[in-house]
Amino acid sequence: MIIPINVASSSSNPKLPPGLAKISHDEVVLIELQGALEVESDHPSERDGKLVGKLKVDEATNKFTLLVGHHLLEGKISNIAKPLAVLLRSRTVSNVILSGTEGAGQDDDVEILVHNDQEVLLTNDVEWDMIALVKRKIVFSKRPMPVVNLTARTT
Amino acid sequence: MDLCFSPSSSAEAGAYKLLELPPDLCKLIEKAIDTSAPLRLKIKGKSGEDAVLCTANKTFAVRSVTLSNSILVVTPPSDASCMNFTDDTVVIRDQVTEILELTPAVPKLHILSALLRGKEYDGNQDDDGVDAETMDATKITYNDALHTIQASDMELDDGLKNRHILNINGELRLIAPAYLDHLLELFLNGLVALSLSHESASVEALSSSLADDHEVPRSISTQVMSWFGEIEDGKWKMDVSALTKEVGLGILRHHVYQPISQDELTAKWKTSVGDAFASKVNIELLLGNYLASINDSESLTYFPASALPVDPVRRFADLFLTRSRWKVKDIAPFLADIAVDSKERDKLLLKFARATTDADGVWYTARTQYSG
Repeated sequence: MIIPINVASSSSNPKLPPGLAKISHDEVVLIELQGALEVESDHPSERDGKLVGKLKVDEATNKFTLLVGHHLLEGKISNIAKPLAVLLRSRTVSNVILSGTEGAGQDDDVEILVHNDQEVLLTNDVEWDMIALVKRKIVFSKRPMPVVNLTARTT
Repeated sequence: MDLCFSPSSSAEAGAYKLLELPPDLCKLIEKAIDTSAPLRLKIKGKSGEDAVLCTANKTFAVRSVTLSNSILVVTPPSDASCMNFTDDTVVIRDQVTEILELTPAVPKLHILSALLRGKEYDGNQDDDGVDAETMDATKITYNDALHTIQASDMELDDGLKNRHILNINGELRLIAPAYLDHLLELFLNGLVALSLSHESASVEALSSSLADDHEVPRSISTQVMSWFGEIEDGKWKMDVSALTKEVGLGILRHHVYQPISQDELTAKWKTSVGDAFASKVNIELLLGNYLASINDSESLTYFPASALPVDPVRRFADLFLTRSRWKVKDIAPFLADIAVDSKERDKLLLKFARATTDADGVWYTARTQYSG
């Protein structure tokens, strides 16, 4: 089985705000946290679109602060020893019009959609797109400071 | 600015991966991005195998490393998301706790030779009709190899040349060693008979003479010529060392159990290659294919590295069962095909052998006791 990785040239994806864009890549920024974000929810999709916190950039000192709930995290830019490629999984859609019952290859799982009165092959072949090559990241490595009054909750 | 989960973060969980790039691969990718030239990397492997990543000409082993921290992949919200984000909101696409690490690896070509064994091509065209069904079932095509062998395309092509695998109408066949020896003899004789220079021999002239007088199909002789030299503009420039080496191996191959003295080997070898190339005959060409007897370093037996197991544990076991102790210069040729470079070879020696020094120098012995 072959899984292709496509190295995309510049795309038309939305760009990051200038404060983040200049860190390493203009579309993707990597933020490293000690530990992980824990979300209380009954269903994973509940967190979609929800606010996590407020990220502030101090351009003068290149320091970052992230306010999550009652915690204030301090971070800074750090170089990544070996550059990281950010890969995004994509599923190929092959617009092969089927006529009759032509067999598909053994490795492919195929779904056949009826689209515009024609049968279109939707393969389950996995592909990955390289959306960014990142050499620096924001690391929040200090212990979070509890803060009072300032919360990142929107009223 | 606001940091939110992207509206599709639960759907996209696990859709992001971080791949650590070694310096040369990084340069290759940056060049592709800068010049907008399309670059395709491939991950190859069957479901049960360890994955490898291949560029056009290199193979890397892929390993997953778990991080103690987690990394958030953050981007601006995509235009498609219809949430009411403020202008400079950024969204978390995914939380990643692993990184994929790449290390240069030796392409896994030995499987090819194993798969093709038993159906060597020896010039007889009598395969048709005999057990046609079973023949087809075990047929390996070049396309099959491109898709399943864990090697880059260029390394696969080089591997086919080095392992003397013919491509006959898309089907891959190992050439029978005796037949190869025969063909090389025909080439050498042909060059003399037709007064062709080995630096620039007409491919047409040579292959025609072999086809007419010895029933060797042109496609076969041309492929074999390409294994031992370069073909450009219809002219074959013979790689003298490579061909000389193969002729030497052809003689040595008969001496697995019955040793041959180095003098006798050299004499036979010189006769076979003829006066033109006798000066190229050199035992060093056969390194990694013979063992010199301990008692009298004069007699040699055929012992090819290619017949040894690929897995390091089993290879060292076989090597130490053959000889209980080795010097670096003697064991190194038998590790060359499983180590990417001399650094990795030294690492293998460190891991699987014990070094002891005495008056004669450094000897490597087994770390564990092998019975037998």
